[in-house]
Amino acid sequence: MKKFLTLLIIAIQFGVLAQDANDIISKVVTKLNTVNDYTVVANVKANIPMIKILPSKATIYFKQKDKFKVVSKGIVILPKQGFTEINGFLANKNSYLAVAGDSTKIGGVMTKLINVVPTGENSEIVLAKLWIDTKRSLIIKSQITTKTNGSVTTTYTYGDKAAFGLPSQLVFEIDVKAFKLPKSVAADINKTTAEKKTKPGKKGVITVTLTDYKVNTGLSDAIFSKKK
Amino acid sequence: MLLKNTYNEFIKILSKPRSYLGIGALTLLVGIIIFAMKADGRSIISFVTSSFEQTLTFNGDVLNGNLIAFIILQMLIVHIPLLVALVTGDLISGEAAMGTIRMLATKPISRTQIVLSKFIAGAMYTLFLTLWLGFFALFVSRQIFGTGDLIVLNSDGLVILQDADILWRFGLGFCVAFLALLTVSTLSIALSAFAENSIGPIVSTMAIIILFTIIGSLDVTVFDNIKPFLFTTHMASWRSFFEDPVPFSAIMKSIVILVVHNILLAAIAVYKFNKKDITS
Repeated sequence: MKKFLTLLIIAIQFGVLAQDANDIISKVVTKLNTVNDYTVVANVKANIPMIKILPSKATIYFKQKDKFKVVSKGIVILPKQGFTEINGFLANKNSYLAVAGDSTKIGGVMTKLINVVPTGENSEIVLAKLWIDTKRSLIIKSQITTKTNGSVTTTYTYGDKAAFGLPSQLVFEIDVKAFKLPKSVAADINKTTAEKKTKPGKKGVITVTLTDYKVNTGLSDAIFSKKK
Repeated sequence: MLLKNTYNEFIKILSKPRSYLGIGALTLLVGIIIFAMKADGRSIISFVTSSFEQTLTFNGDVLNGNLIAFIILQMLIVHIPLLVALVTGDLISGEAAMGTIRMLATKPISRTQIVLSKFIAGAMYTLFLTLWLGFFALFVSRQIFGTGDLIVLNSDGLVILQDADILWRFGLGFCVAFLALLTVSTLSIALSAFAENSIGPIVSTMAIIILFTIIGSLDVTVFDNIKPFLFTTHMASWRSFFEDPVPFSAIMKSIVILVVHNILLAAIAVYKFNKKDITS
């Protein structure tokens, strides 16, 4: 009887936590869904081991549900995931289970940790940890682990478009695997390996500062076609 | 007299069909590379960036004229020495084989000036070949593929250079590449002073380049002391202009070594030609 009561209390507690977490996510999703499309200018500063690149500029186009395009004159390096995946993932309530965790202060903002686990086996996302500002229904930090691309930690800063849930700055922290190009491909035959050794498995940081948002202007689908 | 003889030597180079063979081969090779890049360049780029593409995306025109020009230079700079040696290796020994060197030596010009005029004519041909390569590699590629940031592929990572920061690197890179090819030209002319036939100096030049390149690419400590003094080690130093930051001191060292090679080889050729018994 005692054991049964303990299990019942745990189950109720878990149910309450899940309910609480779902409510928080639901509010975040509602806010994100107020944006049908947007255009924004991105200043990208990439600090990635084994890649040397100066800060570059790009224009990002987004349209619900998952249309996303980056247009730039020069080369811009962005993380493979982190911009739209979480929106799409959270939009389908039946595809995940959310559990609330501890409360933590991040950058002076009190956040609630929500662990989101997919219910289906085919989901690319394995686990999403979201630190949410429950007062404003904004994601302050996220850590998304996927099957193929490892983990990406993103820190969000908000400006004048916070009402839409759109950040003014994103800081991505990504795992970079060891890179070694064959000498024959690099044609760098006279450089010995002793001259420059690279440390594998370092973290890369990409800071994307977003300015000049144009929200809900009714972007055409043609913009997202393959060619510029 | 030196200038007049240099002019004559250049006319002789232009009158030989093999001089156009190099230019034709270069044009064809560049054309093939541009065609291949146009047809399947993206998969080649993907092969290189695939190590990063698990976590990163490269946006923008990665496959552009600047990258094609860099790839062409990288591919052909290994083969151009053969085209240079094909012409310059024949300059003295070819005349010995044909029997015209005796007549040349009867002219009112010193033997030193004869050799120097051949060096200058050889240098002019090498310069023309380098400029031809530069025109096709850079100008034509940029016309076909457009301009853009350049991804430089090093064995230990990628350097991405902005479009506005590239042309001066190509310019200086071509200058150093010319100096490297000039060393090949000087070497073949120096070997030509020792030979009585055309094939010997050409084959010897290539054999030396291949031998030195193999020694330079072997990660064996026993060769570490001689590697910095082999001219082949510095033949790819044009590539250093595409590093960030540019290692100017290393490039200067390479330039000095290449210049010293040129002076030494020219001095050997002058000495040998002055001492040579012209019996043909």
